[in-house]
Amino acid sequence: MSFWPWYGLRGGQQTESWEASVPAGASPGRPVAAARQDADQFSMICPTQALRAQAGRVEVEMDHCVHCQRCRQGADPLPWQEDAAWSHWRDTHAQPFPARFRRSLHVLYVDAGACGACVNEIRLVDAPVYNLHRFGIFITATPRDADVLLVSGPITDAMHRAVVKAYAAMPEPKRVLGMGVCAINGGVFGKSFASHGGLEGVIPVDLWIPGCPPPPLAIIEGLRRLMGWTNGPAEREVR
Amino acid sequence: MLYVAAYLLAFLAPLLVLLPGRRATALLAWLSMEAAAVLLALQGVLAMGNGKLPLIQLQLPVIGAFTFAQTPLAGLLILITAVVFAMALPFVAHDANAYPRGRQALFCAVVLLTLLGMTGFFLANSVAAFLFCWEIAALSIWAIITFETRQSKPVAAGLLTLALSEIGSLAGLAGLLLLAAGAHNDRFGPIIAAIPTLSPSLLLAAGLLAFFGFGMKAGVIPLNVWLPEAHGTAPRSTSPILSGATLNLGLYAFLRIDAPIALHMPHLGLIILSTGALTALIGILYALVERDMKRLLAQSSVENMGIATAGIGAGLTFTAYGYPLLGGASLVAGLYHMINHSSFKTLLFLGAGGIDAATGTHNLDALGGLMKRLPVLSSLFVVGALAIAALPPFNGFVSEWLLLESLLRVVEIPEVPVRITFALSGALLALTSGLALTCFIMLPGMALLGLPRSAAARTARPAPLAVTLPMALLALLCLLLGVGATAVIPVLGRIAEGILGSNPTASLVPDFFSTSSSIPTAVRHALAPLGTEIGASWLPLRGLAVMHLNSSAPVVYAMSTLLTMLVLLSLLGIVWLLVRGLRQRRVTRATLWDAGLLRLRPEMTYTASTFAAPVRVVFRSFLRPSVQSTEDRQGAFLLNLRHSEVINNISERLIIGPIRSAATAIAALLARMHHGKINTYAAYILAAMVLALLFLIAANS
Amino acid sequence: MSEATGLRHWLQSYPALSLSEVDGYCLRLVCTPEQLPGLARELVEHWQAEFATLLVEEHPDRALSFTVRYYFYAPRQHHLLELRIAVAPGTELPAISDAVHAADWHEREAWDLYGLRFTGHPFLGDFVLHDEDWPEGVDPMLHRFSARQRPAGEGSGEHWQPPQLLEEEGAIVFPVGPIWGDYNESGLWLLETPGEQIRYLHTRLFYKYRAVEKIAEGQAVDQAFLLSERFAGAAALAHSWAYCQAVERIAGCTAPRRAEQLRILFAELERARHHCANIAEICGSTALSVAKAMAQNLVEDWLRLSAQVAGHRYLFGLLCPGGLRQDLHAEQRNLWIAALARLRRDLLALREHLETSSSFLDRIEEMGTLTADFAKTFGVVGPIARASGRALDLRRHLPYGAYSEWEPEIPTEEQGDGYARLRIFFAETLISIGLMEEMLTQIADGPIRTECPIRAGHALAWVEAPSGATFHWLRLAEDGSVLRLRLGTPGFRNWHAFERAIQGAAFQDFPIILATWGLSVAENDR
Ligand code: SF4
Ligand code: SF4
Repeated sequence: MSFWPWYGLRGGQQTESWEASVPAGASPGRPVAAARQDADQFSMICPTQALRAQAGRVEVEMDHCVHCQRCRQGADPLPWQEDAAWSHWRDTHAQPFPARFRRSLHVLYVDAGACGACVNEIRLVDAPVYNLHRFGIFITATPRDADVLLVSGPITDAMHRAVVKAYAAMPEPKRVLGMGVCAINGGVFGKSFASHGGLEGVIPVDLWIPGCPPPPLAIIEGLRRLMGWTNGPAEREVR
Repeated sequence: MLYVAAYLLAFLAPLLVLLPGRRATALLAWLSMEAAAVLLALQGVLAMGNGKLPLIQLQLPVIGAFTFAQTPLAGLLILITAVVFAMALPFVAHDANAYPRGRQALFCAVVLLTLLGMTGFFLANSVAAFLFCWEIAALSIWAIITFETRQSKPVAAGLLTLALSEIGSLAGLAGLLLLAAGAHNDRFGPIIAAIPTLSPSLLLAAGLLAFFGFGMKAGVIPLNVWLPEAHGTAPRSTSPILSGATLNLGLYAFLRIDAPIALHMPHLGLIILSTGALTALIGILYALVERDMKRLLAQSSVENMGIATAGIGAGLTFTAYGYPLLGGASLVAGLYHMINHSSFKTLLFLGAGGIDAATGTHNLDALGGLMKRLPVLSSLFVVGALAIAALPPFNGFVSEWLLLESLLRVVEIPEVPVRITFALSGALLALTSGLALTCFIMLPGMALLGLPRSAAARTARPAPLAVTLPMALLALLCLLLGVGATAVIPVLGRIAEGILGSNPTASLVPDFFSTSSSIPTAVRHALAPLGTEIGASWLPLRGLAVMHLNSSAPVVYAMSTLLTMLVLLSLLGIVWLLVRGLRQRRVTRATLWDAGLLRLRPEMTYTASTFAAPVRVVFRSFLRPSVQSTEDRQGAFLLNLRHSEVINNISERLIIGPIRSAATAIAALLARMHHGKINTYAAYILAAMVLALLFLIAANS
Repeated sequence: MSEATGLRHWLQSYPALSLSEVDGYCLRLVCTPEQLPGLARELVEHWQAEFATLLVEEHPDRALSFTVRYYFYAPRQHHLLELRIAVAPGTELPAISDAVHAADWHEREAWDLYGLRFTGHPFLGDFVLHDEDWPEGVDPMLHRFSARQRPAGEGSGEHWQPPQLLEEEGAIVFPVGPIWGDYNESGLWLLETPGEQIRYLHTRLFYKYRAVEKIAEGQAVDQAFLLSERFAGAAALAHSWAYCQAVERIAGCTAPRRAEQLRILFAELERARHHCANIAEICGSTALSVAKAMAQNLVEDWLRLSAQVAGHRYLFGLLCPGGLRQDLHAEQRNLWIAALARLRRDLLALREHLETSSSFLDRIEEMGTLTADFAKTFGVVGPIARASGRALDLRRHLPYGAYSEWEPEIPTEEQGDGYARLRIFFAETLISIGLMEEMLTQIADGPIRTECPIRAGHALAWVEAPSGATFHWLRLAEDGSVLRLRLGTPGFRNWHAFERAIQGAAFQDFPIILATWGLSVAENDR
């Protein structure tokens, strides 16, 4: 006899409200630009040049931040913001899907050299607390059914062809979502003989989700942005 | 008479081949052969329309009566045979061109002798004529099978099984002789008339001998292994004939002898039914594990013959138990299936032969991708596969469904053992149809779709017209036999009447449309909402088919397949309109999704073996493959893995194998006895004489 | 005579072998190519040594420009051994993988990346660098090869043929991947099958090869740290710990006591999360969605706990040579303690449900069995080894950090099947929870970091990562840049044996068996 349905029901509803603030620990957060005296010197601590000193301010380029936490540690850290609405369009031409996709979207996930953390986060988007299916988003195993190509990793040489082929095999209209710093610019792996250093120049990208790795909330937020929704989880108030 | 003209033409043809000149004579010879076949087919049609008609009445010294007579059943079989020949002859002629002149003539002669022998056999009306024509047909079939490969080694094994099948026909003839001896007559009429007076044990013995003996020629278990072996070695152009036509010989032979007996002996009918069902299942199981197209089709012939046999058995049983209409329906289903098998199997064997001609192989694992290279042949082949897989609107559906439905009506018979037999047979047949569907998805799928798995398949030449044109005609025939079922059933009903004494047509396809219909108006009105009256004024065929109209509440049985198809077509049309017609669509062609590989390679696509693997696994304990597995290693490295699973036919395993080893043991014993010592030989002779004396004494006392 | 001294005596009496000891942690032997196979076989078969990793280093300035190091460790003697050989390019070394099969993939890797050929190895080529794409004869780990640019030239392209071992009528090579399933890591699995049954599996990985060892060369210590952390993000802490240990060993510094304790805490936290993620995958592969959801909840709870106590869900950016970058505050510690109780309760509940779910057990029992013999032959490590009856754990056999004080229990199972692995995942998670609970109340006060000077030198360091024994080797230049980083990962060891566990399994069980192994492709591919 199987009691699984009972175990499931007993757990009650576990999905968290979408618009409530980000639950503690659901996002690593991110550094926020701030004015500082030592801007020039401070920005040097970033190993990936995500911090830039500009007119006495430290600016943060989220697309380069690998969450090494170095600007957060130490005696005088940058302010840190615990949110998850990180996605942004690649350029002004990029557009969300037509309105009929607002309630149903199929996603093909391709791992093009991701490190395991990105893979683990994408595996959690259907965990009860996130429940991506409530938005009508489904992960599919074939590009033929897919509306969105979700790519993580720095696009290794050996996966380059597979990514191009997967994109070509998708029916129109289609969108590409680059997930994680690696997919944006190669992340810590950068550009080398073995990796292309991100999706740029491989296939046309519509939306980026920075982060290393972007947490499930950020992934879902990106997918919803592609569907044309703009509301996301609110920033968590840190007391 | 057309017979005479046909026979003359047939004798002329081989001689024409020998005339000087190449193309013209070949064409002439082929035309005369074709003409002979067409004439015989015409005569067959005529014969079905008439009653019984004596043809030749001879009383020969020593041999006895040598008579031939024409009956509707004979007419049907002649028609089938002649049509199969007519369809297959172009390919025969096409392939015969490769032989030197003398062999070409010989080949023509053998093929035609088969046709003539078979025709004679269907008409035979006395024991001597029956024997004579049977042997002519059997010998000429044997000559065809071994025509190309008499010398080669593997054929020797095939020949052994062929010899075993000859034992079968001897047994069948023994059964016939038993009857003749009992009836003290050698004409069929008096023999049949005498049957009610004969002892039941003699009848049973004769009936079983005739069924299993002649049935062997039709592939009925237990001794059916010869069939795929023989078809595997026969020249490819003759396979359509061997399968489409000659298998019917066995069916006809036992039907002729066993029908009158079974009408007095219900058990015999039950044995025929269950044996047929079992044959069907075994046939399709072995078909599914074959990788050779020709052998696969041959195994599937075993299956189809089993279905037809089951229909005949059910028909005889129902009638013997006093349900003539149900009996008629089942027999009609059996005969219908025989016709269907001849049509689609000829089509499929022609297709297999055409594929062989185009690629040089009939190994399914080496084919693939032919749909793109041989589109016409492939599409026709698919039609054949759909038909044999019993999918509407093609003909296989009609007969198999009719048979299953009639088997279900066994609820009318009160005896429990009979019900159980029917139920089990029905279950076997249902399983068979499921497996047949798998098998005939596999056959065209593996041969025609996917990527070509060998250079031969990649570089296929176009198939000869001598194959595709007859295939087109046969495909049309499969469709017509499917949608025109309501026109075919009355014809078969009349033939069934000749065998069982009752005509089931009225209950199978009642005449709803004619004003003089025998159906009570109340019933007609009750059924009108079901669509029985639709098309009354314009449909050329009979309308709704209803089963068992004997009581006030008729059991609805079948709609007119033509009507069904019209409904189906219009539904499809509506769907098409909704999907395609009303909306502007842009079609994008994309390459196959290969999961991001550089290229999907042929060795990565399914083969027949992989497709049928689940069947092999599920029926493993039945198929009992002998497994051999070896591997090469270097230290902990595995360098190579070899695995082979040989599936031996169950009758090979259980019957022929032991016989063969017994024969070898006896031969070895004999060889041991021959050690050349004079006194030992003297002892043998003495012992033999003593034994003979003892035997004589015992016989006289 | 103790076993340890026995081994040493044996080595000392071995003819023509020069033996020296380094830093008290490693016996170093310089041997000749001819001695190599016999010595290796003897070590493994007689002294029960385990093969650790193979390392090639290029010194273009020397005549024998390749230094090849074979590392072994003897678990019973708590000894680490290095066999070192110098060879000139173009010469061949005898393959040891006949006898020490665990070295098989290492030899293939060295051939692909350095062009170092091993005599007698039957399957060199088409491994890290795929033949269809990579030009023949280009060895990217050589110094003259620039990491920046993909070399000109093409591979065999369309002519590439999948490997085939099986000779059987009608058998095919069924490809799974590189893009397959819903959320799978990329790789190609070629199943040789006559249909239904898998007769042999070729695991063709390195679709995710990012050449981490190559691109690390020339990077500063702090920069390469990021690579050591993120080439396998699911075990980031373990791998970066090994990296930090190597730097510390070169510098001759040790992390403060508090830091060593916190490292264990975070490592066990990572192990628990890693194992729970594997459990979730196993439940998912059998389509048990409620169980999968329950396990996913556990994973998410571990991740949120990690973010709350370390700032990052995957514990990125926590370690540094010399200690930790950030401390654990009292509130964080209390939060951690509270979470552990809850997580243990949920884990036990899930285990109980699973163990009483016969339809689930049917699907993993006797699935993907790795016999103890194969486990030894292939030298598998970590939970996979322990599920096949091999009680191997570096935390016990070569204790590092504070593990000599905090010895964890080593669970083993004998069956080697999917269920045994599941039990191991549960047992180790519970042991980790226990260890964390014990330590959290006893963390020493004090600094979390000592200054760790950057020096030239090289060192081997090891860690028992969640998926097993990890050996990283590092050589630093005077200026603190990396000259060679070798990542000897457990994934690389265990994937090698996976093909043997799948032999004879049914087609549809492939994803289940894969899940019960819980292997990371990223960790293998590097
Ligand atoms: S977290 Fe690290 S990578 Fe991100 S901005 Fe701060 S220093 Fe740069
Ligand atoms: S973005 Fe970060 S987490 Fe994602 S694959 Fe790259 S290194 Fe890993």
